[in-house]
Amino acid sequence: MKELIKKLTSVSSPSGREEEIRNTILEELKGSIDGYEIDKLGNLIVWKKGKKEGKILLDAHMDEVGVLATYIDERGFIRIEAIGGVSPYNLLGSSISFPKVEGIVGIEGETPEELTKNIRNLDFDKIYVDIGAKSREEAEKLVPPGTFGVYHYSFKDLGERIVSKSLDDRIGCTIIIEVLKRANPYYDLFGTFSTQEEIGLVGASVVAFNIKPDLAIAIDVTSNSDTPKGSKRMSLELGKGPTIKIKDRASISDRKVVETLKKFADKNNIPYQVEILLYGGTDAAMLQRTGEGIIAGTLSIPTRYVHSPNEMVDMNDVENAIKLLKALVESEEPLS
Amino acid sequence: MYIKELTNIDGVSGFEEKVREFIKEKIQDKVDHIKEDTIGNLIAFKKGQTDKRLMLSAHMDEVGFIVSNIEEDGKLSIIPLGSIDPRTVFGKKVLVGEKQIPGVIGSKPIHLMDSLEKVTSFENIKVDIGATKKQEVELKVKIGDSVSFAPNTMIHQGWISGKALDDRGGCSILMDLIDLNINPYYDTYFSFVVQEETGLRGSGPASFQINPDFAIVIETTTSGDNPEFPEDRRSTELGKGPAITPAHRGYVNDEKLFNFAVKIALENQIPYQIKRRTVGGTDAQRIAITTGTPALVISIPSRYIHSPMSVLNIKDYENTLKLLSILITKEVK
Repeated sequence: MKELIKKLTSVSSPSGREEEIRNTILEELKGSIDGYEIDKLGNLIVWKKGKKEGKILLDAHMDEVGVLATYIDERGFIRIEAIGGVSPYNLLGSSISFPKVEGIVGIEGETPEELTKNIRNLDFDKIYVDIGAKSREEAEKLVPPGTFGVYHYSFKDLGERIVSKSLDDRIGCTIIIEVLKRANPYYDLFGTFSTQEEIGLVGASVVAFNIKPDLAIAIDVTSNSDTPKGSKRMSLELGKGPTIKIKDRASISDRKVVETLKKFADKNNIPYQVEILLYGGTDAAMLQRTGEGIIAGTLSIPTRYVHSPNEMVDMNDVENAIKLLKALVESEEPLS
Repeated sequence: MYIKELTNIDGVSGFEEKVREFIKEKIQDKVDHIKEDTIGNLIAFKKGQTDKRLMLSAHMDEVGFIVSNIEEDGKLSIIPLGSIDPRTVFGKKVLVGEKQIPGVIGSKPIHLMDSLEKVTSFENIKVDIGATKKQEVELKVKIGDSVSFAPNTMIHQGWISGKALDDRGGCSILMDLIDLNINPYYDTYFSFVVQEETGLRGSGPASFQINPDFAIVIETTTSGDNPEFPEDRRSTELGKGPAITPAHRGYVNDEKLFNFAVKIALENQIPYQIKRRTVGGTDAQRIAITTGTPALVISIPSRYIHSPMSVLNIKDYENTLKLLSILITKEVK
């Protein structure tokens, strides 16, 4: 499975530019699904037929946070804006991958004092990207304004734990792919790989409208509390199991989803944690309010350094999430 | 070009009737079908050469205020509709309510400030209609009346200034497109929507009814080309053509539409610019999340929008119109 995660995280597909990841996921699912569709917003919807009437939907967003090149000066330096929750601090000492070239991030500062001040109060107005170009013309050929970029890819295998950019939410994509590969669903199983989550849950706003599932679960990363001076008011630890979300800033999980997930975890001796996230949101917020309303919730993977080039998850949590979802989609229990 | 007439009409968010009536009267005989919907959008239709649907959208509303209270001394407390920088409103003339009662926006005079005080909030800003008593005011003004900046449009040597250029500029472009009597490629819906400034509220229902395959939102957008502001910090610049948006708050504009618009501009030697800032949202986002429609924003750059007086360059207006007039005759690819 690490190979699959490596493959998915190596793809550069920020919000609004999901073509490459969509093709990669589709390629990976060949032979494991009964059909697929790509909607007008670029959402990939796949399905595997069940034995009984009823629909379960598992959603993961396939986009990642990134940047947008907006302006090139006469010396070839590029200005960028954030696409999704990118902190400029995460760009320092780091590099950005544009489709044709890699760029290094630098900070403005005409005096040592100004440089220090800028480092302390960093924002996108004070940084630039250097792609080694010597003129505007040269830079424009490689990164014309309007080009999207992502964090430079560097996968680190630390044994049980792995580190990469875009584990948010390629880890969710991995989990759904594995469930589709391994499970024999009792009800029709839909996997939706949705677009533009990071900029505002765009794809998920419409992805479930025509499907009208009986139950929808978003699979996404969440935060953690198990680092030095980590968040005091939350309890989310790597390796203690996937987390069943109760609430975040954007949604309250349907009680039925929470209880169902807990029940299958208990029944199959799968460790889990209960998640109350003080901020953030997932596609579940949009799934829930689609059409006449959908019973929806979120299953998350505790993650460190979310939205950085070095997001970290524990493989045991990933494996346990797959087991839990497999048990759920294979169950013959009535859906309503 | 209908900008002068359009900007001189008052139509703050939620009070778009007069704008709608004006547009309707001018276009109704030139389109195949026209309707007003429940929320107040005006949707005009022109048959195309295929059954696929294109939605062109501009918002009719402008930023302004609503009367929230009538004070004992006859002054009016107001709440902004849409985002307005309070520093821009002092000493400006406004029109209140249906009776168009003239008033002046006032606050503490500079002579009574110890030093130039920081940005005042709307709590300390009142509208003065020249009354001394609450009872006297209540005869002409009610709580809930609209307050709009007074008409002030000037057209002078290639420039237009006035209130409400955002987004009467876009409305005027749509009306001109109708006047040009172009045979559009797609079934085309010219949608004039309400309440954009207070939260993109009209475009959702409009898009729901049209269920378009593509949408293009025509906006009047921020420039920021002030001399003290370095070039790379600006959002757009006047005189450099229509601004095509790659991404803004809540939505990355559709890649295919973006590339298509750029291609048409290049092929036809129409100057254009890429919008450099991603702050601020538009109806494109609402349309995308309502019907799953790929959307793009094309804007006329404008200085000082969301204030009582904004400025745009007529060349930019003409080039925006030119770009769209070609674009709507082509298949998106």
